[in-house]
Amino acid sequence: MEEGKVYVGNLDVAAKRARDILLGKLKLEKVVDWANAFSLWPVHLTTSCCSTEFAATFGPRFDGEQFGALPWVGPRQTNLIVIEGTVTRKMACAVRVTWEQMPHPKYAIAMGACALDGGLFYNSYNVVRPWEVIPIDIYIPGCPPRPESVARAIVELQRKIRGRRVASSWIREGWRPDRDYVAPKEDYCAWQKTSPLLERV
Amino acid sequence: MSGAELVEGPRDYEATLKAARARAESALREAGISFSVEEGKGFVDLVVDVDSIVKAAEALKNAGFTHVVSVTAVDYPKKKSIKVAYHVTSYLDPEIVGGIVGLAVYLPREAPEMPSLSGVWVSAEFMEREVYEFFGVTFKGHPDLRPLLLIPELAEKRPLRKDFVVREESIYEGVPERVRRG
Ligand code: SF4
Repeated sequence: MEEGKVYVGNLDVAAKRARDILLGKLKLEKVVDWANAFSLWPVHLTTSCCSTEFAATFGPRFDGEQFGALPWVGPRQTNLIVIEGTVTRKMACAVRVTWEQMPHPKYAIAMGACALDGGLFYNSYNVVRPWEVIPIDIYIPGCPPRPESVARAIVELQRKIRGRRVASSWIREGWRPDRDYVAPKEDYCAWQKTSPLLERV
Repeated sequence: MSGAELVEGPRDYEATLKAARARAESALREAGISFSVEEGKGFVDLVVDVDSIVKAAEALKNAGFTHVVSVTAVDYPKKKSIKVAYHVTSYLDPEIVGGIVGLAVYLPREAPEMPSLSGVWVSAEFMEREVYEFFGVTFKGHPDLRPLLLIPELAEKRPLRKDFVVREESIYEGVPERVRRG
């Protein structure tokens, strides 16, 4: 950087110029992608029974932490949703709210047959497909998938992030260039608004 | 509670069921409530009238059945009725621990309505909410009758009634009715 240069004025403009210099001139993209790929923090969002295998993945035997991912508590400190199985109507609201709360760059893995296309409950009245709720990066088949395949999905996601420069281009552009933004077709939280059935009889 | 000690380990289910059934029947008879018995392998249902169900519940509770295991309903579209069954047992009474007796009532299918038993057994409260959302049975006097698991739009459709149609299994899709019935 030029010596003695001080950025004064609008914080947004200053931040944008600093970002352009860091990512553009100094070629820090690779570093950003590398760092992002190895700091995946899946949020604790247990939607269904696949979560037992997910827990086993990060337990001592399969030790998912060695791949650079560790489940963490709040959505505002995490950047990965692993949808663990069936998503019911009410849970779809929670999934979407969690996704909106997470800071970008953020990713989603759909785990289990139920998250692919309903699985066992494909004709149930109360099940939604997670790809209608949030954009999914990796799908894991199985009912439930083995911990090895969860670890494999995390490795695949890292490869995707580093290979396609997902994280750095997301930070530079402000949106994700390599895929469309999934907006839910319906408002999954609409049931929380007043309905005659929700009032106490 | 009688003087007998609580036995640990597996119990003879048939004997316990028999004891629990005898206890429940004598309790209802003492209270002067008329009932009929429906039984099958491993279960006993004592069917009473809607008007006397609260009295029957109180009689059962005083006889030692302090705990509701489940509240469930069965839809009979041809008989135009819905059967609501409360399965009651006891945790502490050594004679009847694990013996589950059903207290059942038949309701008309069009407007199923019955008094809530959550005043007698508190543990029935959430299960009555489930019966309400899945079958549309209204419990009068329930403290908080709202759908528990389903969203309200789904609960209005009464999904566990037999006339609620879900998409068919894929192996049957497109198969003619004649073949399907075998
Ligand atoms: S895929 Fe299987 S294990 Fe996973 S949520 Fe569905 S039913 Fe449960």
